[in-house]
Amino acid sequence: MLQRKMLRARRDLTIIEGTNAAILLSGVRHSYGPRAVLRDLDLTVRRGEIYALLGGNGAGKSTTLNALLGFIAPSAGAVRICGVDPVTQPAQARALLAYVPESVALYDHLSARENVDYFLALAGAARDRPSVIDPALEAVGLPVHAWDARVSGFSKGMRQKVAIALALARHVPVLLLDEPTSGLDPQATLEFNRLLDTARARDVAVLMVTHDLLSAVDVADRIGFLADGRIDEERTATAGSARFDLNALHARYAQPRAAA
Amino acid sequence: MSAATRIAREEWRALLRNRAGVIATLLLVALVLVASFVSIERRDRIEADRARYQASVDAGFDRQPDRHPHRMVHYGQFVFRPIAPLAFFDAGIDSYTGNTIFLEGHRQNSANFAEARQSSLLLRFGQLTPAFVLQTLAPLLLIFLGFASVARERERGTLRLLLAQGLDGRTLLGGKLLAQAAVALAVAAPAFVVLAGFALAGVAGWGATLLLMLGYAAWLLLWALLAVLVSAWAHDSRAALAALIGLWLIGVILLPRALPEAAAAQVVLPTRIETEIALHRDLARIGDSHDPDDPYFNGFRQQVLARYGVSRIEDLPVQYAGLVGMEGERLSTALYARAAADSAGREARQNRFVHAFAALSPLIAIRQVSMALTASDPAAHLDFLDQAEAFRYRFVQTLNRMQAELIPHIGGEDPRVSADNWKRVPRFAYRSYDPLRDAGAIRRSLLVLAGWLAGLGLLFAVTARRIGRVAR
Amino acid sequence: MSRLSAELRLILRSRMGVGSLLLLLLLSSLAVWSGIAQMERQRETIARVSGEQRRDFAGVAATHGKPDGDAGYAAYYSFLLTHDAPPPLAFAAIGQRDIQPFVLRVRALGLQQQLYDAEAINAELALPGVFDWAFVLVYLAPLIIIALMHDLVTGEREGGRLRLLLSLPGQGLWRRRIGLRYALVLFALAVPFAVGAIVTHAPVAGTAAMLLVAALYLAFWAGCALLVGTAMRASASAAAALIGCWILLTLVVPTLASAAIARAIPAAKGIDLTLAQREIVHHGWDIAKQDTFERFFLNHPEWRGREGFEGRFHWKWLFAMHQVGDEAVARDVAAYRASLIARERWSERVGYLLPGVAAQGALHRIADTDPFGQFAYQDRIAAFHDRLRHFFYPYLFTDRPFTRADFARMPTFAPRLPSGAVPAAPLLALAVVAALLLSAGSRRVARISGADRA
Repeated sequence: MLQRKMLRARRDLTIIEGTNAAILLSGVRHSYGPRAVLRDLDLTVRRGEIYALLGGNGAGKSTTLNALLGFIAPSAGAVRICGVDPVTQPAQARALLAYVPESVALYDHLSARENVDYFLALAGAARDRPSVIDPALEAVGLPVHAWDARVSGFSKGMRQKVAIALALARHVPVLLLDEPTSGLDPQATLEFNRLLDTARARDVAVLMVTHDLLSAVDVADRIGFLADGRIDEERTATAGSARFDLNALHARYAQPRAAA
Repeated sequence: MSAATRIAREEWRALLRNRAGVIATLLLVALVLVASFVSIERRDRIEADRARYQASVDAGFDRQPDRHPHRMVHYGQFVFRPIAPLAFFDAGIDSYTGNTIFLEGHRQNSANFAEARQSSLLLRFGQLTPAFVLQTLAPLLLIFLGFASVARERERGTLRLLLAQGLDGRTLLGGKLLAQAAVALAVAAPAFVVLAGFALAGVAGWGATLLLMLGYAAWLLLWALLAVLVSAWAHDSRAALAALIGLWLIGVILLPRALPEAAAAQVVLPTRIETEIALHRDLARIGDSHDPDDPYFNGFRQQVLARYGVSRIEDLPVQYAGLVGMEGERLSTALYARAAADSAGREARQNRFVHAFAALSPLIAIRQVSMALTASDPAAHLDFLDQAEAFRYRFVQTLNRMQAELIPHIGGEDPRVSADNWKRVPRFAYRSYDPLRDAGAIRRSLLVLAGWLAGLGLLFAVTARRIGRVAR
Repeated sequence: MSRLSAELRLILRSRMGVGSLLLLLLLSSLAVWSGIAQMERQRETIARVSGEQRRDFAGVAATHGKPDGDAGYAAYYSFLLTHDAPPPLAFAAIGQRDIQPFVLRVRALGLQQQLYDAEAINAELALPGVFDWAFVLVYLAPLIIIALMHDLVTGEREGGRLRLLLSLPGQGLWRRRIGLRYALVLFALAVPFAVGAIVTHAPVAGTAAMLLVAALYLAFWAGCALLVGTAMRASASAAAALIGCWILLTLVVPTLASAAIARAIPAAKGIDLTLAQREIVHHGWDIAKQDTFERFFLNHPEWRGREGFEGRFHWKWLFAMHQVGDEAVARDVAAYRASLIARERWSERVGYLLPGVAAQGALHRIADTDPFGQFAYQDRIAAFHDRLRHFFYPYLFTDRPFTRADFARMPTFAPRLPSGAVPAAPLLALAVVAALLLSAGSRRVARISGADRA
């Protein structure tokens, strides 16, 4: 038993060595009961890279995020956040990542600034919080008049900005985004894309899980298609104005899922 | 079938699907029944005990040997308060008042051995009677069943849907109220059946029984109405639950406990010790029968001598000391009556202070109705005290008269009256208290409940109009 | 500390949190204030009655304190006041003091026909129970705990914040939140009580013990809230379930237990002994005087040989007769007391299962306002009555004149010493139950995962 564990650890280590991936999933398997959700998922995201993980419902997007967040322990394979295993060392791993849920829910009775301050305190940023909050709120482009307003009246886009401000204020190398553009109006989507550029400029590794192809095409450096628990296909952006061949991608995305 | 009954039917269906609600309702009904049976058994036992004690002390009185009648005045009689048939339904103040009094000459003893004084603090959590269940717990059940009635529809968005289809706000709320009100009455039904059983058996009067049912029906309807109203106002069902629990807490638990303290601070109730000392002072002020120069008793002596047409005490056909005893008893009893009236007046003032808040806490109103109609209220207890005191006066004077009339014919060093005479001394026969004798208080409390219903009804109409407008 | 202050701000910015804490603070303050006022009124009553008593006693002394005064008249007409002033902590746990007499006059006649006399109380006012700090703690504080803690986890899940919260580094979020809410509730309850204890110069140990009871009782409810709150999926059902627990534990089961105890342990012995004592005392008039004296001498041999008198009546005979009456019912008295103590013991046992009952019992034992406090007062009265009798016997049996000066020599009642104590067993039971619930709750809360979306 012990031997097997050690063996597995050595294998994991050899995979990790030689990569500078901020986000790494290698041979990850996971199943809920008899239903296998992830089957040998391999995925890496480097710092300064934006990776869009596309997939339909049930493809395993949420499970991938849960594995990275340490909410589930995969039955096989390795998960690393900057080399840290989120299952065995959840606190260290979480200190390296920021997560923005699909619909950002905040404490409605607090202002934007207070929300960021509260979550920052929870994340353990004890000192000098005000001096990091204001620049972060400015960076995400939240209007100044909204900083001290209760978030109960905020739109989804504004809430998302607050959550990303929190991520920026924490200065973490990894950003996990869950369906960031669903429910955003075109203007907000545009602003969101600009925000990701800011993150990339700060050398953050961004993994966005989405089923919004257009948005992915706009910002991602790489796009992976998740189907049946593994990366089916991966495309990398090319230089120039048309970074991806949208038609080809759409054809690929919309094709009927192969029977397992 | 009208739209309102359709709504009500849907509400019942929803209530039936709520497993916790069904269990709670069944538990409450079971509790009403358990409380009824426990309470009936308890009442019967107390009643049997008291009857047994009464019979045994009465027989004991008959068994006393030949004696000087004044010895019998101090041997005295014990009286035990019978417990009203409906007191099983509401124990009222029965546990807090003594249930036996020792009656003797020229003393008014306290009613002793109240159950509350002999119980642990557990008693203060409340007594298991149908009244406790209906007054305290049933409103909680109605809150639990009703708090989501409208708020649920609003949260799910079905409220807008219903109203968009042209349903009138009044019909919607009316349907909800119909459903909840029916549940309220159904919860009370077992208790009402038990009550009706007592009336049918002729143990309790129909008037009191029906009024009692009316009062409780109003009380429970009030909570059903309140639950639907708050549910209609509240932002979400959790806020409705919090508001209703808050209202219950203040109205049913807090105010009834806090108000007595305010009442006691307003009107001072003198202790029995002070009353007794004051009484002896007053008696001494009237006169001292042992003082040969006392003006009052000199006057009394002159009257007696004139009445019997003699000039010397020795010539009287009766024993003068016995007559003095009767006169003393008359004087002290009048003073006791005055003190008792004063004390009762103070208590009534304290209670009136609390009752005045019935408009804030309708529990006070239903409690009044319930205690009064089950003859377990202070009025019924006072009636017992009055009867006991009247009886005390009669039996003591009977013995005093025996002393005055019989002793002169016996004479001797140690004059004793034959034991046969004890059977001629009256025995305590309790005239059962008619709760409807003084219906003013009951009427007032019922009016308060009616006022609450009317007020909430008005709010209901306003809310029904508003809900139609706002949700559209 | 910083995380804790952030949590504190989170609570203090929420209307529900601040509202319920302020409400508790207000109720607790009102209860303490009202309790102090009530106990002050009892002290005033004692002072008032003492004044009346002094005047009355002076009158008796003037009437019967002649140079050739008869001790029998003095003993027969001298009522002496006993009183039981509220113990210092009574303001917080009034207990039965509102219905039990705290002033009683006794004379040298049979004690058992005097001891159970009731004082004037307004039964209707007593009916709903007293409003004191113990009431706020036992009944109301759990509801505040429920309001603050029922949605600890479900609220975050329903608010959509759970995954975000769990994705953050740092541990002990739930522990901090529960601990802080618990501490705030305890604080809102304890501060008014502590102020009251300082104002009334209450003993430190008793005050600390009552705070311990409050801390344990609230810990029990925090554990309940944690356990139920983590077991339920929706806040509304968690709230309903917890209030259901509250109803059962503070309203329904204690009432059932009370009915069961009253049924199982009848306390009719009080009436029995009163009736028996009357029969014996009055029978004394019909039997040979020597018989009465013989029974009296069994316990008072020092007066043997001094029983003789001329004529039909002598006070020493009357007082001996009354004493014989008391002695004859001694066994009934013991049985009566035993039945009351048995009721008390069973209530304590109920407390092992019902934390509210345990807390209630412990608070009143510490405050010395429970039936045991009343028993101690009755024992004190009995001891005083004993001294009173024995004071008169030398005068009665040696026919010594009872003068004005002898009235001043009569014994006076010395109030009982506080007999409050900390009942270890119920507190231990309470602590164990609270610890079990809290640890089970923490285990559940530690297992909460962000993976399962509600």
